[in-house]
Amino acid sequence: MILHTLEDVLPIHIAEATGWSARPEGMCRGDVCVPAPGALRADGTVDIQTMATRLGMPLVHDDAHGVWALGPATATGRALSTAAAADPELIDRNGHPFRLSSLRGRKVLLVAWSSY
Amino acid sequence: MTVALDVNPEHTYSWIDAAAPTHPSLIDTAHRTGDLFGFVNIPMAVWIDEAGNLVRPAEAASIERNPLQDMEIPEGLPERLNLAFREIKKFPDVALAYRAAIVDWAHNGATSRFALSPDEVISRSQPRPNSHARAAACFEIGQHVLRTVGHDAAVPWWREAHELFPENWTYKRQAWTLVTTPVGATENDLMQGPNDVYPGNWLDDVIAGGGGETYAVIPQL
Repeated sequence: MILHTLEDVLPIHIAEATGWSARPEGMCRGDVCVPAPGALRADGTVDIQTMATRLGMPLVHDDAHGVWALGPATATGRALSTAAAADPELIDRNGHPFRLSSLRGRKVLLVAWSSY
Repeated sequence: MTVALDVNPEHTYSWIDAAAPTHPSLIDTAHRTGDLFGFVNIPMAVWIDEAGNLVRPAEAASIERNPLQDMEIPEGLPERLNLAFREIKKFPDVALAYRAAIVDWAHNGATSRFALSPDEVISRSQPRPNSHARAAACFEIGQHVLRTVGHDAAVPWWREAHELFPENWTYKRQAWTLVTTPVGATENDLMQGPNDVYPGNWLDDVIAGGGGETYAVIPQL
């Protein structure tokens, strides 16, 4: 997740990019919740540093260009922390947005490929 | 459904148009599905049930034998091309068994012996030590500055990603192809040979990583 600031980041943006929801009980994804006291601030924004520490997310800064990247969670030591499939917004051939969740009710074989 | 992990969507169009898919055919210009599902090479796939739960983690997803594996290597090829063919012939081949497993799951759903429990899906997903997570962050910054600043700004970040996570072939192949494909070429260079920008290249990294036998995340069926 690319961040231009560590302040005023809303839970909805974190959830969209990482799949992790900031809740009073902690950072949650699927049926997994990791206690993260202080990650959800009283003003409704997310304390990125606290969240990153609790979930084992690296926070990398590009000094020259003024951006951070928040890496994926390492809390379980595996690529997946839950079997609930992530739901990123992707685009189709014509640039139209598409979500995996639009296929609920059907089995999905999701195949990754590339032109290289 | 298919997802192309490609920073430049235009590079995917000719392939998609030629395939004329009837399934959802998508493009992931930020390689987000790589991090979210654990794809480290292509082709790889995950299986998702009707409720939106993964029943198999990311694993190599060939469904037909690579014809290069049965091809007689022609005499007189340049040495590196000859070596590349030899490594490709070493790729483990479970394509037909994987295809049969997919069909079994399609017919039998949760009762298929190939459908895994949530705990198995997680435990069989790719390892993610801190170095891999940091590599993902570096790769993402590289993509961001590629778009906002230019290619030269991406290179140091992608070099670091390659160093931190050498087993991630999508990070490496994506970066290499942008420097080894000639300007104006209509198709990407798939050989991704030695270059002046990155210390690695496809053939030498395959050999250094243990050879073609270890190139793919083979499904444990």
